[in-house]
Amino acid sequence: MHDSFLTYANKRYLWVALVLLLGSIVAYIWHDPSPHPNGGTWLGYTLGTIGALLIYWLTTFGLRKRSYASNLGSVGGWLSAHVYLGTALLLIALLHSGFQFSWNVHTLAFVLMTLVIVSGFVGVFTYLRYPALMTRNRENASRQTMIEEIASLDQQSLQLADGIDARLHAIVARSIENTRFGGGVLGMLRTNDASEQALKQVRDALEKREKAGQSGAEPRTQEMPTMYAMVDFLAAKATDVQAETMRKLVDSLSRKKALASRVSRDIQLQSLMELWLYIHVPLTFALLAALTAHIIVVFFYW
Amino acid sequence: MRWFVRRITRKGKGNVGYQDFAFDGDTLTVGRGTDQVIALTDLRSALAHATLTALGGGKVRIESQVITGVRIDGRSERNAIVKRGSLIELGGVRLKLLDAPKGFDAAVEVSPLESTEARVASQALNTTLADTWLSKRRPAWFLFAVVALLFLLLPMFAHFVPQTRPVIDIIPLTSRMTWQSGELARAHHTFGDRCEACHEKPFQPVRDEACGACHGAIAAHADPRRFNLPELGNTRCAHCHRDHNGADKLIDAQQTLCSNCHQDLQARSRNATKLINAADFGTAHPPLKVNLPGWNAEGRFTPTRVELKPTLRESSGLKFPHALHLDTGGLRGPEGLRALACGSCHVAEPGGGRMLPVDFETMCQSCHRLDFDVLAPDRQVVHAKIPEILAMLDEYYAGRALAGGYEDARAPMFVQQRRRPGQPLTAAQTIEARTWARDRASEIGESLFTGRACNVCHTVTRQEGDAGDQWRVDPVRVAGSWFAKAMFPHAGHSTMDCVECHAANTSKTSTDLLIPGIDNCRQCHGGEAATKRVESTCITCHRYHDSPYQLMGDLQRAARSAAPTAHDKTQ
Repeated sequence: MHDSFLTYANKRYLWVALVLLLGSIVAYIWHDPSPHPNGGTWLGYTLGTIGALLIYWLTTFGLRKRSYASNLGSVGGWLSAHVYLGTALLLIALLHSGFQFSWNVHTLAFVLMTLVIVSGFVGVFTYLRYPALMTRNRENASRQTMIEEIASLDQQSLQLADGIDARLHAIVARSIENTRFGGGVLGMLRTNDASEQALKQVRDALEKREKAGQSGAEPRTQEMPTMYAMVDFLAAKATDVQAETMRKLVDSLSRKKALASRVSRDIQLQSLMELWLYIHVPLTFALLAALTAHIIVVFFYW
Repeated sequence: MRWFVRRITRKGKGNVGYQDFAFDGDTLTVGRGTDQVIALTDLRSALAHATLTALGGGKVRIESQVITGVRIDGRSERNAIVKRGSLIELGGVRLKLLDAPKGFDAAVEVSPLESTEARVASQALNTTLADTWLSKRRPAWFLFAVVALLFLLLPMFAHFVPQTRPVIDIIPLTSRMTWQSGELARAHHTFGDRCEACHEKPFQPVRDEACGACHGAIAAHADPRRFNLPELGNTRCAHCHRDHNGADKLIDAQQTLCSNCHQDLQARSRNATKLINAADFGTAHPPLKVNLPGWNAEGRFTPTRVELKPTLRESSGLKFPHALHLDTGGLRGPEGLRALACGSCHVAEPGGGRMLPVDFETMCQSCHRLDFDVLAPDRQVVHAKIPEILAMLDEYYAGRALAGGYEDARAPMFVQQRRRPGQPLTAAQTIEARTWARDRASEIGESLFTGRACNVCHTVTRQEGDAGDQWRVDPVRVAGSWFAKAMFPHAGHSTMDCVECHAANTSKTSTDLLIPGIDNCRQCHGGEAATKRVESTCITCHRYHDSPYQLMGDLQRAARSAAPTAHDKTQ
């Protein structure tokens, strides 16, 4: 049975976090300082020290996960602790501050910490959900295999289209030219896949040409880029041989389109799964600066 | 127009050859068809894919003959003008414009794309976010630097270089105000932007001397030289006064701040104090002590501080049955029936602290008139000034004796008779008149002091002396401070009826001490943690800074001059 980072070692770090939280809450209720709980009481200093050490240590997870040679606990264990203790941090910081907020560097540190933790929650969610979706989407093929298969289908389509009509060949070649996976950030995150976009572009280009009157005399069916247009073309004036080839082409293009959708979806899922980290990591560094400022400032003006 | 065309060919790994030819014509055609000038074999190219037209000056127009288009510098184009150096890709080949050799108008180089290169160019764009402009490292360090600069380095710079404060401190993001953990106490708002007024040196807790710069004149607590308690010397102002906790939270009222030291005080101070241990008002507070009025041999007011017990008797020096005066049926007086209330005589000081002294003239005299002679019912003696009373009586009766017309049967006839002006008394009559007047004044005086006036409220004694008998009226203290070491503001208790604490309406004698004890207070007040009582801490009634003779500034100066280095170490 696969051991997820949430259930690592019988949820050892969940229990560590819960014990830490329970202890903090009990101490907080029992402490009751005057005029109100704050970071300057002995409990405030204690919780603050625990919180700061936790933050600095949780940050080193980014180093640990990249040092493959390290024997300092498994990365899975580190991640489990990272998630549970990071979550516990939220309450520890609240108890440390005595729920006092203001427009200052101290609250800034808290806000940044909260954003880091919340973005971490997004990460936990994606890591739990997206790998399964990706596996299902790929149907046991790797992305590279799918891309290679698309390339061979493209070659096949070109060959078939060439055997029918030069215009059809141009349309197919154009579609292949425009088949793009990934690209920009937004391109990766969008659900509509590139092959569809390519077909749309072909259609737009054709319509433009039609309006310009350059091919007004030619039969409309030949200009239609979709597979239905090909079927029209087939019904209208194709020879038997051409019709057979056309059927093969439609089949080849459909398979390509299905594969292309899947690759796009694969890229989209992977991007979504990685995106949170582009917020989590920079905010963590902002937090490190704010936390360090918070600690220095408190003692600078003691 | 003469074209120079160079075709690069690859034969196996690393073997590159080329083949040049010339073409005469304006337009160079490229495609898979056999009629094309540059014939291609790749299926991705159309039969007649594109045309190249030299425009002169190194520029070439490329027109795609099919909708597939041509890739120029990575972008798909249908019709474009390109210059030397542009990358033109179509149907598995790359076209590159060259400088035209001598005798040619234009030159182009055709080279096949590597198969992997072709795939990369056509399909494999960025497929992970790591390939895009998105980055973790750059924004991470950027944010780290921005936060550190705005919230740590610039404010710190303002601390060390005062000249920069007018700029750095007024920008909300860089101001040292962002360091404030909470609002300053209201009184400190006046210099709230001068952090260094209190925070003199970095990484050093605020020193008492910084407080003393303004608050040196506040009373000390107890003299550390008299009470050998280390806490007295070591306790910082900030022990009880922590700022940045809100506008009205500068005084920490926690009772443990007091009770931590007020435990076992006698042993710890080696009997230097008589104070009894105290902690929670509701559960661990000694009985109240009152300043019972008393006077020493010289007549100076010297109250004694004694524990308040039910058996304790009041010694105000006044005879005053409260119950009689508070008769709800009213009192019969010269001006008819009059009902008195507590407030008729007991009026709080302005500010609502203690009670003002009772005033005879305005509060008592309308009933307790000081008239002395039925023949002159409107004449009254002054109150409380014995020599003046006696002198006034002497003068009054001497005058009456000389003027005559004093219709008292016991008086000499010439005193009784009304005389005309200018009708003198004989020498014998003058002597008799004087004698009568002196006797009458003495008689009336005695009746005032011992009978119907003074003695009603005061204890009067006659003292025999060389210069004759003298009257002595015992001193009186009716209103004053009963609690020497605590504050009781009447104004804060105005929702109560007086008799709820002072059982005056049943008190028949003024020796009843009408000051209530701690049990009475505890009906409403509990300790700090009381739930169904008014939560009252030590400083609800007591002051910390209440030394009658020593100021905080005195202590600081004494400490500095005694052992400056040792003192600095304790900070």
